[in-house]
Parts: sequence; C-alpha cells; structure tokens
Amino acid sequence: MEAVSIEKAPSRIGENPEQRVLRALAESFPKTVSDGARLRPGLVRAKVDRSDIFRVCRVLKDNLGFEHLTMISAVEYDDRFEIVYHIASYQSKLLLELISTTPKDDPTVDSISSIWGGANWQERESYDLMGIVFRSHPKLERILLPKDVLYHPLRKDFKG
Amino acid sequence: MAEMWINMGPQHPMTHGLWNLRVKVDGETIVDAEPEVGYLHRGIEKICEGLTYPQIIPITDRLCYGSSLTWSHLYCQSVEDLMGVEVPERAEYIRVMAIEMQRIASHLMWLAAYAGDLGMSVGFTYTMRDREVFVDLLQALTGSRLTYNYPRIGGVAHDLPPNFDRDSIRAVDYMEGRLKEYEDLFEGSKIFMMRNVGIGLLRKEDALNLGVTGPSLRASGVSYDLRKDMPYSVYPEMDFEVATLDDGDCYARYRVRMDEMWESCKIVRQALQKMPKGRWRMVSPRNAPAGTGLGRVEDPRGEAVMYVVGDGSDKPYRLKIRSPIFVTVSAAPKILVGYKLADVVAIMGGLDMCIGENDR
Amino acid sequence: MNLFEFCYGILHWLVDLVNNLWYWLGDFLPWYFGDFFTAVGDFAASDGHLTFMTILLESVVIIVVALINVLNFLWIFRKLSGRILDFYGPYYVGYRIGGWLQNLADGMKLFIKEIIVPTKADRLGFLLAPVIFVASSLVILSVIPLSVNFGLSTNESGEYVSAGALFALAAFSIAPFAILLAGWSSNNKYTLIGGMRSAAQMMSYEIPLILCAASVFLLAGSFNFVDIVDAQHDVWFLIPLFIGFVVFLICLIAEVEIIPFDLPEAEAELVEGWTTEYGGMRFGLFYMTTAVRSYAGGALATAFFLGGWQGPSFIPDEIWFLIKAYIVYTVFMWLTWSVPRVRIDQMLGLGWKRLLPLAMLNLLIAAALKSGGWF
Repeated sequence: MEAVSIEKAPSRIGENPEQRVLRALAESFPKTVSDGARLRPGLVRAKVDRSDIFRVCRVLKDNLGFEHLTMISAVEYDDRFEIVYHIASYQSKLLLELISTTPKDDPTVDSISSIWGGANWQERESYDLMGIVFRSHPKLERILLPKDVLYHPLRKDFKG
Repeated sequence: MAEMWINMGPQHPMTHGLWNLRVKVDGETIVDAEPEVGYLHRGIEKICEGLTYPQIIPITDRLCYGSSLTWSHLYCQSVEDLMGVEVPERAEYIRVMAIEMQRIASHLMWLAAYAGDLGMSVGFTYTMRDREVFVDLLQALTGSRLTYNYPRIGGVAHDLPPNFDRDSIRAVDYMEGRLKEYEDLFEGSKIFMMRNVGIGLLRKEDALNLGVTGPSLRASGVSYDLRKDMPYSVYPEMDFEVATLDDGDCYARYRVRMDEMWESCKIVRQALQKMPKGRWRMVSPRNAPAGTGLGRVEDPRGEAVMYVVGDGSDKPYRLKIRSPIFVTVSAAPKILVGYKLADVVAIMGGLDMCIGENDR
Repeated sequence: MNLFEFCYGILHWLVDLVNNLWYWLGDFLPWYFGDFFTAVGDFAASDGHLTFMTILLESVVIIVVALINVLNFLWIFRKLSGRILDFYGPYYVGYRIGGWLQNLADGMKLFIKEIIVPTKADRLGFLLAPVIFVASSLVILSVIPLSVNFGLSTNESGEYVSAGALFALAAFSIAPFAILLAGWSSNNKYTLIGGMRSAAQMMSYEIPLILCAASVFLLAGSFNFVDIVDAQHDVWFLIPLFIGFVVFLICLIAEVEIIPFDLPEAEAELVEGWTTEYGGMRFGLFYMTTAVRSYAGGALATAFFLGGWQGPSFIPDEIWFLIKAYIVYTVFMWLTWSVPRVRIDQMLGLGWKRLLPLAMLNLLIAAALKSGGWF
C-alpha cells in the first residue's frame, strides 16, 4: 500500500492520474477530504466528511470526469457506520473509493441520486438492509424486503 | 382505452425469474413503468458473515444461475486482494479460460431466452443446444453443470482434465461456425430486425448517468470493458477487441453480445495456447487481516464488484456485492416509456435479467 | 355414388327397419293410437324428412372425417416442431405409429379437469364464448367438399350448397366476436388486451382475405366450391393470381392466429392472451380449434388456388385434396417455428398498407383476365 502525501507532491508534471485526482480533491476541499492514498494502480482511496459528500460528488462528476457511480456500500463498525462510495472514471480509468463516516445514533448522509441516477436504487438498498437514511432522496423506501419489515437485517445486532 | 396499470410479474412469461414490472399503458403504449424486485432476496450478504472464507465460494455460485463461475471468481479475487495471496500463473489462465467459456454459455442462454421472448422457437432450441457444448466442457473441468464451485482462494480446485485442450479447441471451432449460422438466422429474419432496430433507445448520457454497465453500456456508445480498461488476472496478455456500437437500441445490444461471443472464442483459444505449466493452487491463509479487499470484474451482464471487509478472523466482517442487473433494472423506466407493450419483452429481454444476483 | 346417396340409403334402410317394427307395434293398439303410429311412421319415411336428416348426417360425417384430419394436423404440429426445433416430439404414446395417440391422451387428461369460472368473470359470456368459437369453426368444415362426391349436397344429383365458399368465409369471421367476448368476460387485463388485439387484427386482415377470395369468385363465376374447382381444370388459379395466393396465405395465418401473427395470445407479453383464464377442456378446445381453423384455412387455399381435387387419377380425388391441404398446413407450421412474432402496430401497418393494395391489384388482374376472355 503506497501512501501518497498530497502536500509534498513536488511538481504537477509527470504526476499520474491518481495523484491528480487526489490533489484536485484536496485543493477543492481542504477541510473535509483527508487521508488520500493510492492503493494500487487505478484505485484511490480518500475519506470525506459526511457534511460535504454531496458537493464532493458534484465536483467529481462535473470537473474531474467521474461519470459512473459503481457501488454504494454501508459497513457497520462498533462505533460508526461507514458509507463507501466507489466511483469510476471511464476516461482516466480510475476507481475512487470515498469513505464517509456517520455516528451510530445518526446514520444520515445526503443523497447523491440527483447527481448519478444509478445511485437511486443503491441508496434504497442501503437504507433497506443497513438503515442508512439518505436525505432528500426522491423515494426512500424498502426495495428488497417487504414494506412492513421493522428491522435492518445487515446490522450486527440483528440475529436471524 | 383509459390508462391502466398492468402487473407483468411476479409470475409472467416475460420476467425470467421472480420480479414484477408494473407498467402503465395507454392502449398499448407505455406511459410509465415501475420495476419491483426483492422476491428472491435470500440475504446472501448476511449468510456470508457467518461462514468462513472457503465456505462462501459455493454460496457465491448461487448468485447467478447464468454465469456462476464469474461470481465465484470475483469472490476469490476480492478475498485474494484482502489477504494478499498471489495466484499462480497457470491458475490465472485456467480461470480466464473458464470464465470466457462461461461468458459464451451465459450469452447463449440470453440469446435463447431472447429468441423465446420474441416468439422465435427455433432460436431458443438451437442456442440452448449449443450452450450444452460449453456446459459439458465446464462439467469436464469442474464436475458440475450449473453451480461449479471451481475457483479457490489462491488458485483453482483442479488442473485441467486430460485432453481438455483438444476438446476446447474443437468446441470453439464448432461455436464459431454456429455463430455465423445464428447471425444468418436472426439478422436474416426481417421480423427480428423489425422488432429490434430502433426499439428501446438508451442514449449515451442516460446510460452513463443511470449506471448501466456491460453490453448495454457498450451498445450505447461507451467503449468501456473492465477486461480491457482496468485489466485484472491475465487479460493484459490477451488480444481481443471491445465490441462497441453507437445505436443504443435492442439490436445494438444483441449485436454487442454476439461480438463478445466471437471475442470470447478468441480468448479461449489464446488462453489455451499461452497456458504455462506449473502449480494451479496456492495454500491460502485461514484468517484474513483487518482491512478491505475489492474485486471488480466484467460479468457477462455488466460490472460486478465485491467489497470484502476483514477483521482478522476467519469470517468476513462484511461482504458487499454489487450486482450489475440491479442497477440496470433501475434504468428500465427510462428505456421503456413511449414504446408498445410488446416492446417491453424485447427491451427487458435485451437487458439480460438475472434475478438471482439482482436480489441476492 | 355420392355422399348424399350414401347417407340417404343408410337412413332409408334404417327408417324402413324401424318402421316395420313400429307398424307392427301399432297393430296391437286401439285404432286411435294405431293411426297416430301410422302417421308418425309415414312422416319418418317421407322424402322431406329423409332429406333433412340426410343433410344433418352428411355434415356429421364430413365433420368427423375433418376432425380425424385435425388429429393428424395436431400430430404434424408436434412432430414437425420436433423435427424443426431439434427434438423428438411425441414418441411413447402410440409408439408404433409415431406418437400419434399423444393428442388423444392430452385430450383425455384435459377432459377430466375441473371447469373453473373466475369469481369476478361474467359467467354467461365466459361460458358462451368457447361454444361460439368452437361451433363457428366446426361449421366451416361442413361446407368444404373433399371431392365432387364427398361434400354437403342437398339432393341426389349432388348439387352442392350454392354459396358454400361464401358461407365458409362468413363462418370464418365469427370467431373475433367470440374472442372479444372471451377477453372481456374473463375480467382480466391481459385477456381484455388480447381480445381487443384480436378484433383489430381480424378486422384489418379480413378485408384483403375477402378481396383475394373475390378475385377467385370472379374468375370462377361462382360461389360454389365445385364450380370453383372445375374452373381450375386447365390452369390452377395459383398461376394467374399468384399475388392473391400469397396475400391469401398471409391473411389466413393472421386469421388462424399462429406465430408470426399470434398477437391475441402473445404468450411473452400477455401470458396466454385471451385464453388466460380458461383451463381444462375449454383450453383444450381452443387448442384444437386452432388446428381446425388451420385445416379450414388450408382447405380454402387448396380449393381456391391449388386446384382442389384436380390431379392425376391414380390417387383418389379426396386424397389429392387432403395432400394439398396438408402441404399448406405444413408451410404454416414451418413459418410458425422459424420466425419471431411481429408487433401489433407493425402488423396492422402490414395489413392496411401492404396487403390491402396488393389484394386490390390482384382483384384488378382478375378483372382484366375475366374481361379479356381468358377465363
């Protein structure tokens, strides 16, 4: 795992696409985007504060050419929920792993389904199975489970 | 006639599985559509949290009845990424060869279902008959016919059986002859072309925005194939083309899949030719380290991703599966509106639905 | 000896036999009963009654013979589908005769099933629709003669129903009403759409069909099957009216509702179309009636265009007629198994924009030939 320090990048000439994306993100959102790292060629990870996820995604789509939202996954840890966005760029052949964290008692993030239409059902699925609430989602309903189910089965406190 | 909602599903000849497409029709024209999924939700992600890493491989086979090998390969790939296991080169070649055979079989099954949807019985039986050739080959390789349980973490379960090279080359030669026949059979039929050309238009921007992947995306004019653009396994060694068309209609989706079968035949041949001698399986560790692993492959239906979170034990902490069809179906209303009721069959058939992976 | 004389002879013999017994019985009774018995016996032996009963018996004989052919057709339907689609088809039921008994076995299986009427269906319409459909299809068969001597004639001279061909075409087009009734009364959206499609389809394909038949009537100068076939003694109407033949076949496929045009029961989008709610023997009757209509269609095409029972005399006339009808049916099946289904708007476009002008052209050709004096 090769960690790239963004601030110390000496020159913009010769930098690879991974570094370019990380630098652009860090420059646009110096407060909220952190821990940029290049995991392997073509795969970049960054952490983003949940308050800024909508604006980051807007910049990613409009300015940095990330036209495809691959996957939204929610992971439950002992102290937090992680919402992991995998966003792909077809032109620069990159996959960006954006990790956003919410506290256990308030699993809320902004919906990005107005940016990528493909996020619509994936957010509904995360809501259905993990109980993450996506604000300003057009239709946040259960999708895989019946509408009258009271639990979120992928949470660790749900036992069969 | 006034507008009315029609339930096409859950039990309906069009659905190929268990899902429901509610369409609102004005006479025969569709004005609105709403897919409902979840009838086959088995909670595979939750099941996997209770099983050890090798035990999950047969579960991932059950994700898609059409191309189960791709999914177990994807799972092994993502766990290898998590564990940092190096796969022997021979195993990679065997996997690629088997996956491409699976892709041909899957596309043939799609073609059969599609022909059956359009009412073309001869297309159904001929393609299912020739799918059998590849199912038999995979049976010789893996021992099963539908859910193969063949890849392992760190390689594959067995080496090639005797004379497998010869049989595969024969099968591929046979298949290339057959593909020509299918092109004559389908494209030579005026009615088939009437039912396909210009139907189910999906523009490039919509396809990108709605997250459509795989052959449907490539038929809309985006040349993006994970095998070529973000190569995994030994795909960089292979010489093949990415099939792309700009039309974005049902015919383009059909054509892209036909071209992919041609390319898959080429890849099978090359993989057999370039396959080195050596080991085909490494011993993998029992426990995975804490961290994440990501696998991303080109399924016959689109982009399939698995995201594994390990916590140091021998069971995954979380396994997230991205099903290509799940996202593609959400784009269905966009494609359907404005066409006739009979086109629902052509359009949804052209997207290649597989409910097992859709509902997980 | 033609069919009329044959049936008349049988009935006459039967009536004589019964009457002997009847009169003998009457002798034992008081005179007022005896007179009554005599009157009844005289009426039974009267010529008018015998002719009427003969015509009924004739039509029963013709329909039974036709239904045996329909069984053959169903067998061809399955066996040929197996040959085209790369499987065996029926095999074990009737092992020595190529699985011929499979249809009877299926029929028996369907026969013992319960008749289910959906709760919210319109009961009268739901039960009436299959009756109309099957009856109107069977009645077509009765007027189609297999040869000069094997047909529904009204007197000893073998003179046939004077407008038999017209009657057949008229009976052919009753079915859409039954289909619409079935689709509406089932109270199901699929069946309703199927019924509507059927109405639209039949309406648009009836007109070219009738126009093609009209060109044949024009050349033959008669509505009578025997006259039409006799007019083809020198040259089959297939040759001067080739366009008409092709249009007629396409329209027949649409009328019979088999695959390129089976939109009313398009199984992919409408489950089973207008037959969705029917089960058991009612479904079996619909299935059989499709074959009945195919047979009727093949027979009409044979009589109108393929010279009917004309052919070298080493084969009987009836067999010639059946051979030609079987060939037409086989072509239908060949088409059915090898092409996809068209869409409803494409189909209506084809009917109104292509087939109707072609049928008009065909009628013009027929008129020109007739006025030129060639026929």
